[in-house]
Amino acid sequence: MIEIKTVKEFVENADSIDFDDFISSVIEKCEKIQSKYQPFITINKNHAKPKKGLIHALPVSVKDCICTKDLQSTAGSKILEGYIPPFDATCVTKIKQQGGVIIGKTTQDEFGFGTFNVNSKYAIPKNPFDVERSCGGSSGGAGCITAAADFPHIAIAESTGGSITAPAAFTGTYGLTPTYGRVSRYGLIDYANSMDKIGVIAKSTYDIALMLSIISGYDPLDSTSADLAEQDFTKFIGKDIKGMKIAVPKEYFGEGVDKKIADLIWEKIKQLESLGASYEEISLPMTKYAIPAYYIIAVSEASTNLAKFCGLRYGLHKQLSGNFDEYFASVRSQGFGEETKRRIILGTYARMAGFRDAYYLKALKIRTLIIQEFKKTFKSFDIIAAPSMPVLPLKFSEIENLKPIENYMMDILTIAPNMAGIPMISVPAGLINGLPAGLHLMADHFNEAALIKASSSLEGLE
Amino acid sequence: MKDYWKIDEKLVEHIAAVARLHLTEEEKKKYASQLEDILQVFKQIDDVNTENVNPSFHPIEIKNRLRDDEEKKTEWDPLANTKHKEEGYFKGPKIV
Amino acid sequence: MKMMMGIEVHCQLSSKSKLFCSCSTDTKDKNPNENTCPICLGFPGSKPKVNKAVIDYGIMVAKALNCKVAEKMYFSRKSYFYPDMSKNFQITQYEIPLAVNGFLEIDGEKIRIKRIHIEEDPAKLVHKGGDITTASYVLIDYNRAGMPLLEIVTEPDFTTPKQVRLFLEKLSSILEHLGVYEAEREASLRVDANISLEGGERIEIKNITGFADVEKALNYEIVRQRGLLRMNMKVERETRHFDADRRVTKSLRKKEYEEDYGYIFDPDLAEVEISKEWLNRIAAKMPELPDQRVQRFVKQYGIDEYQAKVIVYTDKNLADFFEKCCERYKNAEKAAKWIITYLLKSLNWHSISIKQSKVNVDSFIEFLELMDSNTITERYAKELIKEYVDTGISPKELIKGKVKSLSEKDLKDIILKVLEENQKAVQEYLQGKEKSIEFLIGQVLVKTKKQADPKIIRKILLSCIEK
Ligand SMILES: [Mg+2]
Ligand SMILES: [Zn+2]
Repeated sequence: MIEIKTVKEFVENADSIDFDDFISSVIEKCEKIQSKYQPFITINKNHAKPKKGLIHALPVSVKDCICTKDLQSTAGSKILEGYIPPFDATCVTKIKQQGGVIIGKTTQDEFGFGTFNVNSKYAIPKNPFDVERSCGGSSGGAGCITAAADFPHIAIAESTGGSITAPAAFTGTYGLTPTYGRVSRYGLIDYANSMDKIGVIAKSTYDIALMLSIISGYDPLDSTSADLAEQDFTKFIGKDIKGMKIAVPKEYFGEGVDKKIADLIWEKIKQLESLGASYEEISLPMTKYAIPAYYIIAVSEASTNLAKFCGLRYGLHKQLSGNFDEYFASVRSQGFGEETKRRIILGTYARMAGFRDAYYLKALKIRTLIIQEFKKTFKSFDIIAAPSMPVLPLKFSEIENLKPIENYMMDILTIAPNMAGIPMISVPAGLINGLPAGLHLMADHFNEAALIKASSSLEGLE
Repeated sequence: MKDYWKIDEKLVEHIAAVARLHLTEEEKKKYASQLEDILQVFKQIDDVNTENVNPSFHPIEIKNRLRDDEEKKTEWDPLANTKHKEEGYFKGPKIV
Repeated sequence: MKMMMGIEVHCQLSSKSKLFCSCSTDTKDKNPNENTCPICLGFPGSKPKVNKAVIDYGIMVAKALNCKVAEKMYFSRKSYFYPDMSKNFQITQYEIPLAVNGFLEIDGEKIRIKRIHIEEDPAKLVHKGGDITTASYVLIDYNRAGMPLLEIVTEPDFTTPKQVRLFLEKLSSILEHLGVYEAEREASLRVDANISLEGGERIEIKNITGFADVEKALNYEIVRQRGLLRMNMKVERETRHFDADRRVTKSLRKKEYEEDYGYIFDPDLAEVEISKEWLNRIAAKMPELPDQRVQRFVKQYGIDEYQAKVIVYTDKNLADFFEKCCERYKNAEKAAKWIITYLLKSLNWHSISIKQSKVNVDSFIEFLELMDSNTITERYAKELIKEYVDTGISPKELIKGKVKSLSEKDLKDIILKVLEENQKAVQEYLQGKEKSIEFLIGQVLVKTKKQADPKIIRKILLSCIEK
C-alpha cells in the first residue's frame, strides 16, 4: 500500500496519494507497532483532509507534552488523564497549516522527568533494536515510532536536559534540539521553562531540516521566542564542510563513557576530517558542574509549574472533600508518579527561604559560566563533537537498579549544552553489538545550519 | 551556618506539606535517603566561585517582550475539562 | 503606648486587557468565567505576555508617589496553594520591583512608600453555605483572575487610623487623576493593614475594601489589642479578617506553619528594561496631580486650602464637578462651602460618590441661585439639598408649590405689619433690650412660614425701626 518510504519522496509526490486510504493504512500500521513497541499514549483516528502545504498528508507524531486541540494531551502524567486541550501548540498549528497529519501522541517520562522513558504509568516504549531495552527518554515514544515506522513520518519531540538526544541515540535516529527560543514553546506543557525546547526526531537530516523550517520562527505568544524570521533549513543539506572547525572536549570522553562508544565517535570525527573539516581537542572544565546546576534550576521551575495540578480545573478529579489543603494534597499524591514527587520535593526545597541563594540563585550563576564557556569555544570552532550518550541502550532490568543520582548522571553529556540553550543534533553513528550509538554535534546559538551541514555530510557514507 | 546539603525525614515532611503532597512514613524515609545522595553530589557547586557573576534567567538574553493593550474575547468553554462546576462557576474545596 | 501601622494597598489598574492576556478587564454584568482564556486560567501550555500599558500606568503612579523607578525589573512566581489561584502561584515582583523609596504627604506628614510592584489579581471566591470559616465549598469566578494590580507598600509610618483613611483617599484621588484606575469598580482598591502595639506581635488584617472600613478595622484592633495587653495576655502574630457587617476583626485559621513562597524568576517572562526615553515619554504625559490642583484651586478660585484639599482629595469627580460649577457660577467660595458642608454630607450619608449620584452641575447651580435670589432661605436650602440628592429632581421643581416666591417688597410689607402689631417690643428694643429684636424676627418668620432668611429679616427690621 505505501511504497514510498522517505519523507522527501513523499512530499514530492503527495498529490498522487489517496489520503483516506493512506491514512487508514498508516493508522493500522501504528496499531501494529503499538502492540509491539508501545510508542503512543494516544493514536489519533479522526482525520480531516489535510491542507495543501510543504508536508501535505505527511504523518507527524507529537510528544504528549505538546498540546493538540481536541486530542488528549497528558504529558505522560496520570494527573492529566483525559485532558483535552482547548488549543493547539504553535508548532502544531504550523504543522497543520502545512498539511501535516497528527497521527498520535507519543509516550514520554511523566512531564519529561527521565532519561529512559520508564517513569510513566502509561506505555513504556520498547526499543525496536531489542525489546528488553529502553528507547531512551524522555521523548522515548518519539524515538521509538521513528525507528519502527516503515512509512514516511516525522516526530515532534521536546528536550529540557537531553530528552531528544537520548532517544535519538538509543533508537538510531536523528534528533535535533534547536536553540532555546528557535521554536515557540506556546502550547508546551512545561517542564523547566527556561530550558524547554521543542525539536525533531526523524530518519534523516533532510527530514529534520524540513520540519525545523516549518515549526521555527518568532511567536508573539511566547515571550521567550527568538525574534528571527522563518527560513528554509533544507538549503544547508549536503553543503560543503571544508574548513569546518571541530572541537572535541576531553570531558565528554572520560570516566563513565563506554569505551566502544568513544572509539566509534572518534571514527566519525575522522570521517568529518576526511570531508575537509579539522578538529582539535579541548577542555570544558565547567562540565562537571552542569548536572547539579541543571537539576536545581529544572526542579525549581518544574515544582512551580506542577502546582497548578490540583484536581480543580482539569485533569484528575476526586470527590470534593476536606479543605483545600487536604483536597489538593490528596489529588496530587494520587496523580503524580514517584519521580515527579521526588522532583517536586527537591524543587520546593531548592526554592525555600534560607536555601534559595545557595541552590537556585547559585545554579543560575553557574549557568552563566557554562554559557560563557560554550560561547568562548564557538569563537574558535564551528561545532563541538562528542558521544550523544555515555552508554548503549540499557536493559529495563539495569535501569531498575539505578539509584536516582546514578540515573541523573546518565545525562552528563547532554546537560551542559541543553542548559546553555545551544542547538545540538544526535546523528546515528553505527551499531555496537547490534545496538545504536549516537554522535553528538553542538553549535553556537542559532547556528543550526552548521549542524545540518555536518550531519548531512555523514549520510550515505556507510 | 546551616548545612544546606543535609536533609532528613522531618525536613522532607515539611517540604511535602508546602508542596501539598501526602507521603507515607516509608516514602519519607526513601525520599530523605535518595535526596541525601543527590545533595552529596550537588554539593560540589559550592566549589564554583560565582562572585560578580550575574544569574542567567534564560540561555539567551531576552528583554522587553510586551504586548499592546488590546482586548480580545476567547471563544471557548473554560469548564469543559472539569466535573467541578455549578452555574458557570468552578467549584472548589472549602477554605477552612 | 507605642504603635506601628503600615499598609499594603492593592489597586486594580484600568487597562483594557488583563496583565498577561487579552481578556477584557470589564467584568461588569458579565457571567462568571466569561472573561477568561487558557492564559488567565493557567491551562497547561499557555504562556503569559506582559501588557505594556500596565507598566506605563505603574510608572505614572511611581512618579506621582515620588518613587525611584527600576532600570530593569523582573517578574517572579510566588508559590502558594489557594482555590482562587489559577496556577497556584501568583506572578508578582520580588527582588526587583517596579519602584522603591517614595512618599506621600498627609497633612504635612510624610508617609514613606517602601515599594510598588505589579502583580496579577486572583479570582473571586463565593463561599457557599456560610462565610469563609463555615462554607462547605467555594464557587470560583476567574473573571478577576489576571487583572493588573499595583501593590503599594508603605513603611509603618501611620500614627492614627484616621491618617490611614486620609492616605487612602488621597492615593485614590491620585490614581484617578492619573486616569489609571476606576474607583467605582467593585473591590478596585483592597487593603491589608498591619498593626502592632508595644508589647504585642504584629497583626495583619487582610483584604479590607472601603476606606472607612480600614479605619474601623484598625480602631477595633487598637481597642482589642490594648485590652489583651492590659490583662497581660499575649497578642500573637496572626492574620485576621474584617467582618464589615459586624464591624469586628476575626481570626482566620492559624496556620500550622508559615507559608514558604519559594520565589523564583518567572521563566516564561523576559526582563523589562525601563529606559530614560521611556521615563521621559511618561513624564511628558503626566497630568495635573491632586497637590498641584489644590494649589491652583486656591489661586484660581480664592477658596481656602482646607476646602481645596477636601474637594480634590475626596474624589477627582468632585473636583471636576466643582470646576464645572465655577465656569458658570461665579461665587466659588459659596459653591465650595455648599459642596463640602452639605452636598458631601448627603452623599456620604448614602455612601455614594458624586458620579454615582443624580446630582449634576446644572441643577446644583440652580440650587445655589435659588438662595442668591432669596427664593429660598439658607435654612430651607439645608433641607432641600437632602431631597435633591435623594431624588435628583431639580431644586426648582422640588420647591414648586411649597414656596411662593417672596419678593423683598412682600417681605417688607410683612415686617411693617409685624412692627405695627408689636409696638411694645419695638419700644423695649429702642430702650436697649437687645433680645426684643429676636422676638420680632421670630414673628416675621412665623408669618413667612420660615421662608425668609433671618439675616435679611434682621437687616430690614432694623432699617425700618430706625426710620
Ligand atoms: Mg500582593
Ligand atoms: Zn485571559
